[in-house]
Amino acid sequence: MARLVWLIPLFPLVGTLVNALFGRVIGHRAHWIAVPALGASFLASYAVFVRVSGGETYTGDLFQWIAAGSFQTAITAQVDPLSAVMLLVVTGVGFLIHLYSAGYMHGDDGYARFFTYLNLFVFSMVMLVLAGNFLLLYVFWEAVGLCSYLLIGFWYQKQSASDAGKKAFIVNRVGDFGFGLGIMLIWTTFGTLDYGEVFARADASVSVATYTAIALLLFMGACGKSAQLPLHTWLPDAMEGPTPVSALIHAATMVTAGVYMVARSHKLFEMAPVSLEIVAWVGGLTAVFAASIGLVQTDIKRVLAYSTISQLGYMFAGVGVGAYAAGIFHLVTHAFFKALLFLGAGSVIHGLSGEQDLRKMGAIAPRMRVTAVTFVVGAAGLAGLPPLAGFFSKDEILAAAASEGHTLLFLLLLAGAFMTAFYIFRVVFLALFGASRLSHEAAHHVHESPAVMTVPLAVLAGLTVVAGLALGLPSAHGTAFSRFLAPVFPAEEAARGLAVPLVSVVVAVAGVLLAWLMYGRRPVTAEEIAVPKNALHSLLLHKYYVDELYDAVFVRPLFALSGWCARVFDLGVIDGAVNGIGRLVVAWAQGLRRVQTGFVMNYALGMLAGAVAIVAFLLARAR
Amino acid sequence: MLPLISFRAIAPGMALAATACLLLLLDLLPTRGRKDHLAVVGLAGVVLSMILSLGLWGSDERAFNGMVRLDGFALFFNLVIGFATGLVLLLSIDYLRRQGMESGEFYILVLFSAVGMTLMAGAGDLIVIFLGLEVMSLSLYVLAGWFEGRLEAGEASMKYFLLGAFASGFFLYGIALIFGATGSTNLDRIAVAVAGGAARDPLLIIGFGLLVAGFGFKISSVPFHMWTADVYQGAPTSVTALIATGSKAAAFAALLRVLLSALRTVQPDWAVLFWGLAVLSMTAGNVVALAQQNIKRMLAYSSIAHAGYILVGVVAGGALGGGGVLFYLLVYTFTTAGAFGVILLLERDGREAVAVSDLAGLATRHPVLALTFSVFLLSLVGIPPTAGFVGKFYLFGAAVRTGYVWLAVIGVVNSAIAAYYYLRLIVFMYMREPEGSPTVLVPSLPAGLALAVALWGVVQLGVLPAPFLDLAQAAVIPLLR
Amino acid sequence: MGSVIAFWILAALVVGSAVGLVVRRNPIHGALFLVVNLGGVAALYLMMHAEFLAAAQVIVYAGAIAVLFVFAIMVLIPGKEETGPDPLRAQRWLAVPLGGFLALEIALVLRSTVFTTSRSPATVPGGVEAVGRLLFTDYLFPFEVTSFLLLAALIGVMALTKRKAS
Repeated sequence: MARLVWLIPLFPLVGTLVNALFGRVIGHRAHWIAVPALGASFLASYAVFVRVSGGETYTGDLFQWIAAGSFQTAITAQVDPLSAVMLLVVTGVGFLIHLYSAGYMHGDDGYARFFTYLNLFVFSMVMLVLAGNFLLLYVFWEAVGLCSYLLIGFWYQKQSASDAGKKAFIVNRVGDFGFGLGIMLIWTTFGTLDYGEVFARADASVSVATYTAIALLLFMGACGKSAQLPLHTWLPDAMEGPTPVSALIHAATMVTAGVYMVARSHKLFEMAPVSLEIVAWVGGLTAVFAASIGLVQTDIKRVLAYSTISQLGYMFAGVGVGAYAAGIFHLVTHAFFKALLFLGAGSVIHGLSGEQDLRKMGAIAPRMRVTAVTFVVGAAGLAGLPPLAGFFSKDEILAAAASEGHTLLFLLLLAGAFMTAFYIFRVVFLALFGASRLSHEAAHHVHESPAVMTVPLAVLAGLTVVAGLALGLPSAHGTAFSRFLAPVFPAEEAARGLAVPLVSVVVAVAGVLLAWLMYGRRPVTAEEIAVPKNALHSLLLHKYYVDELYDAVFVRPLFALSGWCARVFDLGVIDGAVNGIGRLVVAWAQGLRRVQTGFVMNYALGMLAGAVAIVAFLLARAR
Repeated sequence: MLPLISFRAIAPGMALAATACLLLLLDLLPTRGRKDHLAVVGLAGVVLSMILSLGLWGSDERAFNGMVRLDGFALFFNLVIGFATGLVLLLSIDYLRRQGMESGEFYILVLFSAVGMTLMAGAGDLIVIFLGLEVMSLSLYVLAGWFEGRLEAGEASMKYFLLGAFASGFFLYGIALIFGATGSTNLDRIAVAVAGGAARDPLLIIGFGLLVAGFGFKISSVPFHMWTADVYQGAPTSVTALIATGSKAAAFAALLRVLLSALRTVQPDWAVLFWGLAVLSMTAGNVVALAQQNIKRMLAYSSIAHAGYILVGVVAGGALGGGGVLFYLLVYTFTTAGAFGVILLLERDGREAVAVSDLAGLATRHPVLALTFSVFLLSLVGIPPTAGFVGKFYLFGAAVRTGYVWLAVIGVVNSAIAAYYYLRLIVFMYMREPEGSPTVLVPSLPAGLALAVALWGVVQLGVLPAPFLDLAQAAVIPLLR
Repeated sequence: MGSVIAFWILAALVVGSAVGLVVRRNPIHGALFLVVNLGGVAALYLMMHAEFLAAAQVIVYAGAIAVLFVFAIMVLIPGKEETGPDPLRAQRWLAVPLGGFLALEIALVLRSTVFTTSRSPATVPGGVEAVGRLLFTDYLFPFEVTSFLLLAALIGVMALTKRKAS
């Protein structure tokens, strides 16, 4: 099994290197390297998955990375049911998206560069999932982030794209700062970073306060990566990247790393019940918060971005109430239908020659049949209509919340489900059906995407339909999915009756109906969609002014401070002071002259003050 | 009675000094203006010194009546200094010719300053530390003003010289007071006196405070940092690299030796002081760096911030903190020498490209160079798997382990802030188009070699750091006995 | 008691002249304050029985280096040594008798002490032999390093001036 496991990251790594080194020669044939690499990686993942379902697991070191005294960390791969599932999703969805990209990015200048980054991303994500200790997890946590920033800023000629890349980087640093501290705290508490040993040593001998600190710091990292409140602001901007990137990284895989990490370290979270509570509430609030913003957005990709944030919130809510398997199950089904929706949106954008604005779409279903059908399947999956995958996975989370006594949280999530159904079918009606608001030019060019793009759509639609029924049917021993994950997570309770599913279906259908009433029943004009009707609408349209708030509270004061400090501390080279005083030929003497302008005296005075302060401090302490 | 005269104990430094003297003679030979061979001979001397250091590994002895120590600590720093000097020599060759400032004395002075650095690293006596400091500094003062035709160069050299002399005054007075309090300048004997109750003597305390001021200048810690930006900007870029790497490493070596071997018994007293200096340096350095438009100035403030990070390890102390400091200095040497090496190869409109905006579009024009620079910058940020990450991990980890949790928190917050200004350079390289004429790369084989070595260092220490971490921790052990 | 009083007088002189050196704008005045300062320090050395050091201080610093300073100032900044008309012209005639008295005093002192002492200067703790012994035993290494330091300074100066000339 060892060889098989190492093959999974090896293929995309080789693909990266080949495209990076010979990209100029390969050019528009880059997909012939990248796509087969992913295919092979997927096959290896599948083989590993089969072995794991047979009860096998694997832990092995590639080599010792850091070994200093008592502290040892190796490049360790660990395969258990959880990582096997994640591997399948990452390489499987990744493969489909690679395939799709070959069509979508066709003719782009940076074709080879694109596939280089994409392969590098899959390599890093696979390693993140395979990592057998926290340090390696952190390393590839940063690595997937790096790929994400590179790909967000892929079309760097657009100012907004490179700004978005930068924003993603900075916001994630805030989360990673907590994550890094959390890992350090794990190290100092347990003396190791190895998953197995840390979880084995996590018992009552360590104080609850320590566990709470560790868990919350780790969760801070998860908030950054998975775009949860209050660090969610980067994800919508990340939509500046190419659409396949949004699908792969900012919907299906990387952003779920936070959920994966929390689920992986659930032993630590469980030792501090407060932290789980916080995870659940942050998830629930984010779910509603982001869904409400999604209600009014006019950019098709932004709606999907807020939808992603909201759905990640559901996953955290699930994990937070202790329904780990349900959270991960939602992660998997979400990967299917959200990738499908993004790729479908990409296909629409492609068909409309780059148009992303919902106000300039409409009635394109007849001309793009495959896209339309698959998109509706994805939307229904997201809305949680039975018997699609989203219904089962979301239901698991809702049921868990209800039965664990989190009634308020349950109601919150239910409200979110209503909004979800509404906003996604708003997109369906505005983009695909109703009256055409296309410009004459665009209307003329509308065309279905090539097979290389529609086939992945069809496959993902198929998965959205099948996955729930196959894996998510509740039984007396939990779902098939939770049974598979039983070695990792404590067994979940048996089926919980029909009340919750019924309520959620009613709510979802109500949402769809409302969307139809507002946008589907009769043609709407562009103005109707765009102009805010009231203060609430305006508040939502401006995303609760969070960006503006951060700008005013953090960004601007910091720069003001920096500018002020620079003026005070950094006198620098004074231009003009020398001019007109006279013309000494030798620069040495000019240097001397500037010295006499007083700055060196100031510097020396500062040093003297420093020395006096240090001596005074030491003397005061010695008393 | 004559003291133990052991050439073994000073062999690495002797190799450098002898090479410098050899260069003095070689410089007299007529050679149609080319001075490359001097750099090559100098480089051979540096390599020889490093080989000697490796050969002497494992020895732990004192010579010249305790003036000189030959231990793992000194040898580790000899390697760091060797890397710094070697890289600077390689970087200087074509650079000086391009600027029309090639001269044999340049390489000779670089070697002289390296001799001073090795003296500081292997000193067992405050007097020797001071003399090493002066040998190093005198050479650097002259080197900083090498481009005499430039306004900033004269200013840099003059400021560096005057303020350096001022700092030396503090340092020397500190030594005198410590001598007064303990009756010796030898670190071992000071340690005995301190353990014996001299720790409360106001003379010793004042002397120590003045010593810290002197060291603070050389490591460019706040509030002794003001020269840094001006000097970094005005000095030739390869000299800036030497000031940022070698001289900082040597000053930290001496500081650590004084603290850990002479004053270890009163660690709680000085740890608080360095806690404050670390926080001030990190924060001020990073905040001011945000506003910089000149890359060399930005890296100057970055070096102030890095002095703060390294002080975190000093505060933590012990094998863990000390080892962290040593390892980080090695990492920082590769990273910073590499970063300055990249800048030194860039020209725009016939002048050195040192403005942030000069980097625009570099990635499309020179992808390999841009990637190399990005690796150095990511290492400065501390992004895994570069060396900077492992280094920071150890420094902050040591602080957490020894109970200075808040210091680690402040350090991590600071590196999050710092990410912004390093990233800005990457954004410019990869995501901006140049306005006006583009920045061009001046090809240079020796500089390319230097960059390759630096890149190797950053990757090696990031991916396979274990053997070097072991070395760094083992090197601190002799100080703790 | 006497030595304490002498110390305080000398200390005041040394500090006062140092302050004078810093605050005076005229470089020649500064140089003269430096001479006073160095001389005062030499006297302090004497009080600590560091005779050799005191002698070296007077000869090297107060003598050679101070003179070098004055020369340098006169050559490099010509005109600055002019201090205007001397306000105390009338006192000049005092110089001749006072100088004569001084010469007489020196002659008397020389006659009475130097040639009659039985003590060899070399055996004094702060004398030449003691300092020399220390320099070539305990402090051999710093001593040699100092020569290297001087070499570095020499080359630095050469580098600076050579490039000026070319």
